[in-house]
Amino acid sequence: MVISESRPFLRADGPDKVTGSGRYVADISLTGMAAAKFKYAGMAHGRITKLDLEAARSIPGVYAVLTHKDVPDVRFGAIPDRKLFASDVVRFEGEVVAAVAAIDAATAARAVEAIVVEYEPLPIVDDLEAALDENSPLVHESWADYDADHVVRDRNVASFSSIERGDVEAGMAEADLVVTSRFEADASHAVPIEPRGILAQWEGDRVTIWSSTQVPFQARAGVCETLGLATNKVRIIVPHLGGGFGGKCGFHFEAHVAALARAVRRPVKLVFTREEEFVAPDRRREGMTIDVTSGIRRDGTLVARRGRMLLDNGAYTADADFFPQLAAMHLAGPYKIPNVLIESSLVYTNRQPSGSVRAPTAPQACWALEAHTDELADAVGMDPVAFRRLNAIDSGSVGVVGQTYGEIGLQQCINAAVEEIEYGSDLPPDEAVGVAIGWWPSFPGPSGVYIKIDDDGAGQIITGAQECGTGAVMTIPHIVADELGMQPGDFELIYQDTGAAPYDVGATGSQTLLNNGRAALAGARELARQLKELAAEHLEASTEDIVLQSGEASVVGSPASSVSIVELAAIAADNNLLLAHGSSEVIETPPLVGSTCVGDQGVAAWSAPQFSCHAVRVRLDRDTGVVRVLEVSTAHDSGTIINPLGATGQVEGGVLMGIGQALTEGTRYDEDGRQLNAGLLEYKLQTIADAPTIATRFIEIDTPDAGPHGAKGLAEAPNVATAGAIANAIAKLVGHPIRRLPMTAERVWETL
Amino acid sequence: MRFTKAETVEEALHAMAAGARPIAGGSDLMVAARQGKSPLPESIVAIDRIPALSRMDADERGMRIGAAVSHAQLEVDPRIVADYTALADAAALVGSPATRHVGTIGGNIMNSSPAMDTGAPLVVLDGRVELRSLDRTRQIDISEMWTGPGQSVAAVDELCTAILLPERAPRSGSGYVRLEYRRAMEIAVVGAAASVTLAPDGDLLAAISVALTAVAPTIVSVEIPKEAIGRPVDDDLLDRIAVAASERAQPISDVRASARYRKHIVGVMARRAAASAFGRARGETIGVPLNRTAGIGAP
Amino acid sequence: MTYILTVNGTDYPVDADVTRNLLSVIREVVGLTGTKEGCDDCECGACMVLLDGRPVNSCSYLAVQAQGCAITTIEGLQSDGDLHPLQRHMLESGAVQCGFCTPGMIVSARALLDANPDPDDEDIRIGLSGNLCRCTGYARIIEAVRKTAAGDSG
Repeated sequence: MVISESRPFLRADGPDKVTGSGRYVADISLTGMAAAKFKYAGMAHGRITKLDLEAARSIPGVYAVLTHKDVPDVRFGAIPDRKLFASDVVRFEGEVVAAVAAIDAATAARAVEAIVVEYEPLPIVDDLEAALDENSPLVHESWADYDADHVVRDRNVASFSSIERGDVEAGMAEADLVVTSRFEADASHAVPIEPRGILAQWEGDRVTIWSSTQVPFQARAGVCETLGLATNKVRIIVPHLGGGFGGKCGFHFEAHVAALARAVRRPVKLVFTREEEFVAPDRRREGMTIDVTSGIRRDGTLVARRGRMLLDNGAYTADADFFPQLAAMHLAGPYKIPNVLIESSLVYTNRQPSGSVRAPTAPQACWALEAHTDELADAVGMDPVAFRRLNAIDSGSVGVVGQTYGEIGLQQCINAAVEEIEYGSDLPPDEAVGVAIGWWPSFPGPSGVYIKIDDDGAGQIITGAQECGTGAVMTIPHIVADELGMQPGDFELIYQDTGAAPYDVGATGSQTLLNNGRAALAGARELARQLKELAAEHLEASTEDIVLQSGEASVVGSPASSVSIVELAAIAADNNLLLAHGSSEVIETPPLVGSTCVGDQGVAAWSAPQFSCHAVRVRLDRDTGVVRVLEVSTAHDSGTIINPLGATGQVEGGVLMGIGQALTEGTRYDEDGRQLNAGLLEYKLQTIADAPTIATRFIEIDTPDAGPHGAKGLAEAPNVATAGAIANAIAKLVGHPIRRLPMTAERVWETL
Repeated sequence: MRFTKAETVEEALHAMAAGARPIAGGSDLMVAARQGKSPLPESIVAIDRIPALSRMDADERGMRIGAAVSHAQLEVDPRIVADYTALADAAALVGSPATRHVGTIGGNIMNSSPAMDTGAPLVVLDGRVELRSLDRTRQIDISEMWTGPGQSVAAVDELCTAILLPERAPRSGSGYVRLEYRRAMEIAVVGAAASVTLAPDGDLLAAISVALTAVAPTIVSVEIPKEAIGRPVDDDLLDRIAVAASERAQPISDVRASARYRKHIVGVMARRAAASAFGRARGETIGVPLNRTAGIGAP
Repeated sequence: MTYILTVNGTDYPVDADVTRNLLSVIREVVGLTGTKEGCDDCECGACMVLLDGRPVNSCSYLAVQAQGCAITTIEGLQSDGDLHPLQRHMLESGAVQCGFCTPGMIVSARALLDANPDPDDEDIRIGLSGNLCRCTGYARIIEAVRKTAAGDSG
């Protein structure tokens, strides 16, 4: 533990945030700045028959109206199926048809209104099963021409993956009982409280873009790809970022705004309304249908599982190409099952594209699997917790893809969570406790930092990592200071600026501390070596005998012989500078053993997997179907916890998001494929008045091949199991699972 | 847009005669304009600083609530909480603390939404609306006020100046409860208010009225069969109230709920409102708002 | 239209279209950007300011209507450069993550504590129920307000 009670975590960006002095993109203004607005399709599927910009362009104060004709003809995306502007066919309501820059936002909005677009309506694909029919209309007529050899695909199926191990037919035959379940999950949204903002300014042939992105280097790559620019011509700076939860991952609208700014030769700023934040980004949590059948022996042992999953890709493949395999892993779950066949398809529809929202695919698949698991336990008359203890993997177990897990804490998580909530104790008749377990991979990736100490002893950490609120980047100075015997406050943090820092994947995949933390540790150790060498020379001692602590370098065993780091910095300033860099070393992904994955996307065998168990106590109003979550107890194995306060915050926030997904958050569509609840009144986040007591325990298992000091990822894992636990509590009260997510009051009531 | 601020009711009426729309907090107007649903009016007169409209006065005939009294004032006013409890139940549920400070009862009434929380309580409490224009002042029963969603009998130059609530009979109680999917920041999907008066001796019913929120184009009253009078308030009567409420409802299906669900739930809400009103009539202490002191919304 | 708004004790002459909301005038005319815009229909609370001590969603309030009121924004909470106890406790309790809801949350908490110096947890929950936070799960925010009310210096 790097951060302890004796050295509490005070986040370096905290004072900016509590005083209001911190700047987010919308808070930045530049001289001469114009305002951008987009013209959206407003319909789910149609062919553009007329696009008339004259009226819009003639409005005084309108500087430019751009369409596909004004940018390079480039397809982009994980499957390159999208262009910056629709040129022929629009495939979802939020597709950008044109972009306006004007003297102010009101004028830009008037110009958008004045753009005339006419469409020939095309049949809407919005049913996952029907989309598979060979006679179904295609979302992409020319799907076969897209350059995407890395995925298995066919017509409306953008990406197919399977996990197969053993012989599922034989396994089912061997089973004493076979239980089949079907579930359906609605799409939902990330809903960061900050709507996105983008501000672009050109100087010569270089553009600087301030963007509320979680992934500045990916955003840069997207701008370069679509506008045909070299990486050293594009600089992305993220000021403070007002939350993301995956919704601000990927490359979104930076290129549109940069193209506008270039066209009008002045800075251009785009700030989304809340409705746009719901409708336009390519980062919706995918809807899903899940069929799962499991075979068990009378003693409760799992022997076989067959699964079929359909994932709603929406109209374009932002980054969901690997989702089918990830979803399949979550339908397999952290269980020992010798015979498995799960087939999973990502299906094009005329809806908003899906993408990496916090633990993509996991909350829905885990919800279905864990409800199914309670049905299995019920079928053999076992307590659901006992059933999980019997079948869940433990240290040394072999999982569904043949991976043998090292030291893991899943069983300890189950024990801790059920103990905390006093599982099995008497409850009032309208209350029940449900339990679910979940897992999530850690994602190793490249990441770098520079660390330096200037002549006055003040330090600087320059990192490519992105802070989206989790505190992961704010933890980096603690890790560095710990190695150097300095204080976190001794370091200024320069971050989320592609023009200053080495590469990082960004605030995605819970990878910041895992990868950037290792880079920081490597950099700090390099700087420590430099300090020790300098001190050894100064103190006439051996480098190996120098220790760094309390701002001093001293000779071990003779504390009187010491020199302050400030003095060393002054010495170094005239000679070899105190200047280090660190990279995260490659962590090998474990191999698949004895299993096959058609359409393998590399997310079946997991490095440093994280585990969790959530137990919830709910109260049901039987007359209305309204469910309230009263208490949640959680236990997580995310390896070593470096920042307990920050880690607890991740769990509590993830749980609350999970409660929303379970009960109130679901996107509704009209028959024309348009969102019906693209606002915060009808898309209901949990309020502080709804928030239950949440107890959090960490099962700290030092994990090799993990992050710094044995830490795994954490930000997504708490978002996995909550909805499943709530489902199981409700099922105890109503006598059967609710088979549709979210489990709204009306849906619960309908089953009573 | 032209903006004026009235210091007196007369100033406001003159501005309205010249075509100005009155606003108190202005939230409904601003939200509608920002969402592009309807532009701001050409001319606005602010009435939130007129002292006469922000007062509550009580005497032996009842209570006079100025139209610019906020929900925040209503939810804590001792006389409202004690005698007109359903109105306090409703005021305490509106939106959030901020919207309760800004939103006024007069604004709510004139906005004429069938989902307004304070509407059903005013109906069961026999409220009357005072409407003033330059040339006349009139009072109308609240139950005759609304003609459809966003529509009322008030003329464009009429200002809602007050709501008048008659003195409550002894042994009376009232309550308002609504369906909530979360404990705050909700709009009524379905709601019901009830007022109960008990006979002077014993717990037999002397009078009852029930009104429903968000299940028809306006707030509607429920006919309670006459046989109920003189009977005890028991499960059987509460069941009849629930059935009568469900039968009275003509709800729509929308993103918030299906018509079928609303029709059922309005019965549940009417039952709960009546049961609480009965309890309060008997002198039981049932905290305000009902949604958060009883049932699913309890902490 | 030209008028005066009094923000954090300072009079600002405002020359702005009469249709503008208080939020945009505070941010773009007065130039204080601590007050945030998260929605357009009073549903998130990021734009919360105090008018004569009462919490108001500035996104849905006409700026001209705030003439003559004492307007308090997040920038008005510090005194002599020291953090307000609410700001300090939010920071120390781990109640701040992305920070976008934080100014509005603190402003609402200030209104709550001014009206009710000794709130219980349910009072805090209702008092802050107009402010959405997507990051924290709210527990640390409740703790921060509780500690401020208790005058906790730790």
